[in-house]
Amino acid sequence: MKRWIATAAIAFAAFFPSVALAAEEAENHGSWLTLGFFAVNFLIFVFVLAYAAGPYLRKFFSNRASLIHSNLARSEEAFREAEALARAAAERIAALEQEVAKLRQDLEAETSFQLRRVSELARTNSERIRSDAALTAAATAENAQRRVRENLAAVAARLARDLISRHFETADQSRLLSSFMDRLGQEAQR
Amino acid sequence: MKGSRVAKRYARALIELAEKSQVEKWGAELERLAAIVDSPDLESRLASPELSQAARQEAMAKIAERLELSFPLRSFAVVVARHGRIAEVRAIAEAYRDLVDQMLGRERATLTFAVQPSNQEVERVVAGLEAIAGKQIIPTIKVDKELLGGVVAELGGKTYDGSLAARLAEAQLKLAGHA
Repeated sequence: MKRWIATAAIAFAAFFPSVALAAEEAENHGSWLTLGFFAVNFLIFVFVLAYAAGPYLRKFFSNRASLIHSNLARSEEAFREAEALARAAAERIAALEQEVAKLRQDLEAETSFQLRRVSELARTNSERIRSDAALTAAATAENAQRRVRENLAAVAARLARDLISRHFETADQSRLLSSFMDRLGQEAQR
Repeated sequence: MKGSRVAKRYARALIELAEKSQVEKWGAELERLAAIVDSPDLESRLASPELSQAARQEAMAKIAERLELSFPLRSFAVVVARHGRIAEVRAIAEAYRDLVDQMLGRERATLTFAVQPSNQEVERVVAGLEAIAGKQIIPTIKVDKELLGGVVAELGGKTYDGSLAARLAEAQLKLAGHA
């Protein structure tokens, strides 16, 4: 590196002495000695510069190059990841549509099932309520009939008791005793 | 009280002392004694803790004397008082009566009529019951107007209901649809 920089400086000074001597006055033509002196001076300067700043510059450029490489690699990686994400997103969107379609189908099936179930439940409940109501009505009617019969029987018994106590005669007692004796006779024969 | 073992024991002891001709007479005397001792006034006085044992015995002896009981029955009354069994006299009388009935082959029946029955009616019913029991029946007559008519006979723990009230109740049940 040092060598080609030095070589380039010497060659430049040799082929373009006017540039190297640009600081001199225009009217005075420079001598080769002066040129040589300046060239050597310049070479020394270049050498010192290359010697002192070279490692730092090389390190700087090397670091810079590796940073650029690294950034480039990261950018490529990020690009690939972005592409992958984009693909995945596209796939997911495609899958999502299928999933939405499946969800819609499931929802329709479930709704239909629930409707059927609720309808069946309503039907059985209404039948049960109808049956219960019929049973209750029958029981109520039967109960009412029984109570009416009981009341009638009680009234009839009370009337009969009143009539008997008013019109009971000795002949009636005699008949009752005869009937009782018949019963005792049957009992005795057993 | 009727089934008391103590009462049965006393009754058995008394009947074993009696000759066959005496058993009924003693039974009647025992019933009289029980009727007096059972009266609420006398019963509470004889049961009073203020009365000494000797006074209680003396009271029983005097009661027996007033009732003109036979000598064995007077002695029996005193023995009962001495053993503190005055409260059991009614049960003893009943147990004695049962034993006598058993010994003489007879049974007691309670006949309940709606009105006071004639002797002929009682005899008819007793004859019917005797045919069932196969024993002589001694009836106890009761009157209950609630029966309306007919008769209810209770014999040996069984009831024969020939009353009009029972028929009426049966008819009422049939009319109500319960039978």
